[in-house]
Amino acid sequence: MFKKAAFLVLLVLSFMACDKNDDDQAQQNTPVSVGFLHSFYEDEVSVSSNTIQYTNGFGTSLSITRLRYLISQVSFTNQDGIKTLVKDYHLVDLSQDNSLTINDILLPPGAYNLKMRFGFTEATNTSSIYPDLNAASWNVPENLGGGYHYMQLEGRWLDPGDTPDEPYLYAYHTISAVQNPGPENTREDTSIEIDLGEITVTQGATQINVNMHIDQWFENPNLWNLSELNGLLMGNYTAQKMMQENGQNVFSLASNMGD
Amino acid sequence: MTQKILFIFCLLCIAISCGEDDNENQGYSPTPVSIVVPAIFSQLLPAPEIPINNPLTQEGVALGRALFYEKKLSADNTLACAGCHKPNQSFSDQRRYSIGIDGIAGFRNSMPIVNIAWNTNNKFNWDGSANSLEEQVLEPVINEIEMHNTWPNVEQTLQTDPRYVTAFSNAFGTSTISQELVAKALAQFIRTLVSGNTKFDNYLLGQATLTPQEEQGLAVFLDENRGDCFHCHGSPSNPLWTDNDFHNNGLDEDFTDLGLGDITGDPAQFGLFKSPSLRNLAYTAPYMHDGRFQTLDQVIDHYSEGLVFSPTIDPLMKTVAQGGVQLTPQDKAALKAFLLTLSDPSLASNPAYQNPN
Repeated sequence: MFKKAAFLVLLVLSFMACDKNDDDQAQQNTPVSVGFLHSFYEDEVSVSSNTIQYTNGFGTSLSITRLRYLISQVSFTNQDGIKTLVKDYHLVDLSQDNSLTINDILLPPGAYNLKMRFGFTEATNTSSIYPDLNAASWNVPENLGGGYHYMQLEGRWLDPGDTPDEPYLYAYHTISAVQNPGPENTREDTSIEIDLGEITVTQGATQINVNMHIDQWFENPNLWNLSELNGLLMGNYTAQKMMQENGQNVFSLASNMGD
Repeated sequence: MTQKILFIFCLLCIAISCGEDDNENQGYSPTPVSIVVPAIFSQLLPAPEIPINNPLTQEGVALGRALFYEKKLSADNTLACAGCHKPNQSFSDQRRYSIGIDGIAGFRNSMPIVNIAWNTNNKFNWDGSANSLEEQVLEPVINEIEMHNTWPNVEQTLQTDPRYVTAFSNAFGTSTISQELVAKALAQFIRTLVSGNTKFDNYLLGQATLTPQEEQGLAVFLDENRGDCFHCHGSPSNPLWTDNDFHNNGLDEDFTDLGLGDITGDPAQFGLFKSPSLRNLAYTAPYMHDGRFQTLDQVIDHYSEGLVFSPTIDPLMKTVAQGGVQLTPQDKAALKAFLLTLSDPSLASNPAYQNPN
């Protein structure tokens, strides 16, 4: 009992000693959340489904049964040019609600430039160093360059007018582009910087939503023909470069949804 | 500032008011313990997930171990958890379907239960029907084709055994035995079942070498054009050898067992089952959720030539139109040789896992 009382008295004293600055800091910072939304042209994509309900720019009908992707280097830069890195990396999984938001961000109110990166940079894409991503089997085998996946987008597809007994399957996986898959491979950084422009953090909770325009992965600038490029894409250097090109306009602030 | 001082004052009052109870509970002081984490897990995996409301203690783990081997959990005192989760079978069952106390067979193969502390998505069973280990262990006791008991009966039975009254008191600070505390104790013990001493673990640690055939098998496993096993079953970077996720791996055109879809009701999840770990394949036959394959060769043949289409087949089964990845006999033999390096011969003889009763 005596120990508890002594501990609590010490606690009081420590509060009194440092309280003023803490109060100021608490008033300055406000919570910010970054959410991830997904769309296919005008349609919101909120769950994975077997239903072939989307049509891409090539005219191919498709479903989205799985969508996971990696975002890294989430940063807010204020108007004085001071950059605050709020998240080293974050795995978004459409099937896991708790992965669709980055919480625990505290920033002073003000105007910021929000940036993040799709995938890892070459410097940070080191094999096996992220335990949670290892447990999620997010790795890329060494013969394919090592490191980690950037995205796994999977589902079924049908060509226009085609009525096969079975829909075809696709696995649109993005990684660092690799040449000469095998023990002597060379790897090229195909991560994508996402500059989301200016956002405003106001006093009180601020929610910022980033939208992935999934349709863009199949359209701009490379019109994607799933009958030719539907699987075994990890070791396909040309396909990975095309994916990188198509990924340039995939993300925007959610206010642009449906644009 | 004033509010904070007031808050601390209240804390002082609370501490004073509950001092008497502290004295009464002086006899309850379980000793915290940690899971023995294999070296390769420490390097590559997150720390094991232990619920805040069920920390591991020496007393809790010991009690859970006794309960794991306790046949009194079943209605006729003939079947313990260990009856279908045997240490020498990587805590699974060599029978295709385990047999319950009434002689009735189940309809799925008993899942191995090692390295459960790293099941980070908190979905348990082949169909993901339990959301925590504490929840999972409750069900077999009352399952009509397994232990066919009732929890009130289990509580009453254990309560009449002075050894358990003392053990629960030591582990949880109460002599009143409840299903919740039985579940907590069992979960504590099961979380200590760790397998991390395979030839391949030691290879990763630089303490063993693979044969040329085993190395070739690893290459097949990691080759997107051949085995492409790594997307669902881990890699040298994921020594769990499972993604702990759910997939339809092309076993059937029509489903008699909906798996995950039976739990969620989502047609997109019909026929999906949890990826089992590839650890200890030498001891976990038969294979698949329904134990349909008796040998590892049959499993490899399935992925090579036996895939069939169904509406929910996983897109990673990309060669289903050809029946599979069409491995050569040499690749099959190499893949099997590699897979067998993932077995841990020390698991069954670990003294901490034996029957203490």
